[in-house]
Amino acid sequence: MTPLLIMAGIPSTVAAASDSNQIVAASTSGTYAHYRLGNVDFKMGLFLLIGGVVGGTLGVQLIKILRATGSADFVIKITYVVMLGVIGAYMFIESLQSLRKKAPEGRPPEGPSRPSVYARMVQALPWQIKFEKSGVTLSALMPLVLGTFVGVLAAIMGVGGGFIMVPVMVYLLRMPMHVVVGTSLFQILFTCINVTIMQAVTNHTVDLVLAIILLLGSTLGAQFGARISRHLKGDQLKILLASIVLVVMVQILVGLVWPPHLLLGYKGGH
Amino acid sequence: MRQRMRSRPTVVLCLTMLILLSLAASVQAETVTLQVVPPVVEISTFFNGREVTITGTLPAGHQAVAEVMGPEGEEHLMRKGRRGPLWMNVGEVTVSGAPSLYLVLSSAAELLQGTSPWGFQSLKRQITLAGQVKDSENGKFQEQFFALKQREKLYAALPEGLKLSPAGGGRLEVRGRFWIPANVRPDTYKVCLIAVRDGQAVDRQCIDLSVHMVGFPAFFMSLAYEHGLLYGILAVVVAIFTGFLMGYLFKGGGGH
Repeated sequence: MTPLLIMAGIPSTVAAASDSNQIVAASTSGTYAHYRLGNVDFKMGLFLLIGGVVGGTLGVQLIKILRATGSADFVIKITYVVMLGVIGAYMFIESLQSLRKKAPEGRPPEGPSRPSVYARMVQALPWQIKFEKSGVTLSALMPLVLGTFVGVLAAIMGVGGGFIMVPVMVYLLRMPMHVVVGTSLFQILFTCINVTIMQAVTNHTVDLVLAIILLLGSTLGAQFGARISRHLKGDQLKILLASIVLVVMVQILVGLVWPPHLLLGYKGGH
Repeated sequence: MRQRMRSRPTVVLCLTMLILLSLAASVQAETVTLQVVPPVVEISTFFNGREVTITGTLPAGHQAVAEVMGPEGEEHLMRKGRRGPLWMNVGEVTVSGAPSLYLVLSSAAELLQGTSPWGFQSLKRQITLAGQVKDSENGKFQEQFFALKQREKLYAALPEGLKLSPAGGGRLEVRGRFWIPANVRPDTYKVCLIAVRDGQAVDRQCIDLSVHMVGFPAFFMSLAYEHGLLYGILAVVVAIFTGFLMGYLFKGGGGH
């Protein structure tokens, strides 16, 4: 949402902070629904959340410093270019590969492979804890560090971090999919509550009216989206999403590379 | 008794002077008259800018200039520069002596050109730039500053934006309209109508135009800047409530 707001001309700092507020609203009912279904790993969520609060607080302070030096706009945009570029390209390539793989069916199953370097590294970390709900045992440092990373991004980019958190939980924390969605929503909700309050206190960049308008728009849009998505296959949908992500990334990148109309601008977006 | 006799001429002299002064003042006041409608601009929830009409009169044989000005202050801006392939902010430029709002209208285009004391050319002479800007770049960045303000509609020049018509009694009626943009800062602005003859100001009349927030914007603004924590908590509570409401209405919901 934030990059679209930036494209619409809203200062990056206000767009990011107000979008965090909007995500609080968007993830509230989802978290509650998953909580009732028992799909939230509170233990994992708590570690992620501690990291998220620390990261969010760091991120808000970072934005404050960047605003004072006049670089906040640039840093938010370049972070988007990098994140959207990496994620968009990854999604695009992965979906294309899976579309191609589907043609020749009946591939022989792969044999058991020995633990990867990553798995051995994770096992070597201290403070190993068993997360019963997710059925995994790993170092508590993992969710703490990853939560901090997502918290920093939440403050800088105004994202809940779902698009980073979900693959992180699936591939790096090896959590089962049904717990991933509920737990990531739980973590996102509280990280964004923290970021919203911090941004309001430190940077005065939360626009509550904008956040509510965004929420109403995104909820209504989601209804249309859900209808359209029924007519598309999963991989087609992923390619469509990846294309949108890449188009937005290119648009922001062009804005940074193309000579600006004016060589003077306001500090910190405005 | 003698003292009373002595004081009588003094009283008469004072009275005569008072009458003469008030007559002179009324002649002066009648030289240029000005009305602004609306006299106060309110920024409410759906404020999207506001058109303001100025009407007035001045003696026949004069031209007219109207200026709408905000208070002067210092503005800290960033200049952009290229670093590798990317454009980014590379240094601070401080602009002094620039009004926060400057709208100028005239009854003839030439009144705002050249060495005229009104219009952008005149304003450029009073603005100074400091910081990360070389002397040789001064003119270029002044142009950039005006372009920035014009893009935001905070600076505008409307040559021939004032219409003159005979009003009878040897006077002219002046009419004009200007636009207060949506991003205007709440403040007190000065609207001045100037009677001009041979390129010189003969007389002027100024009125204050107050722009202030009312209703929700005023409430949110004071809350956001004076009670940040309360505003943040309110934003979260409103978001959670709206989230539940939308979830209930659409039986869905999701994250990001």
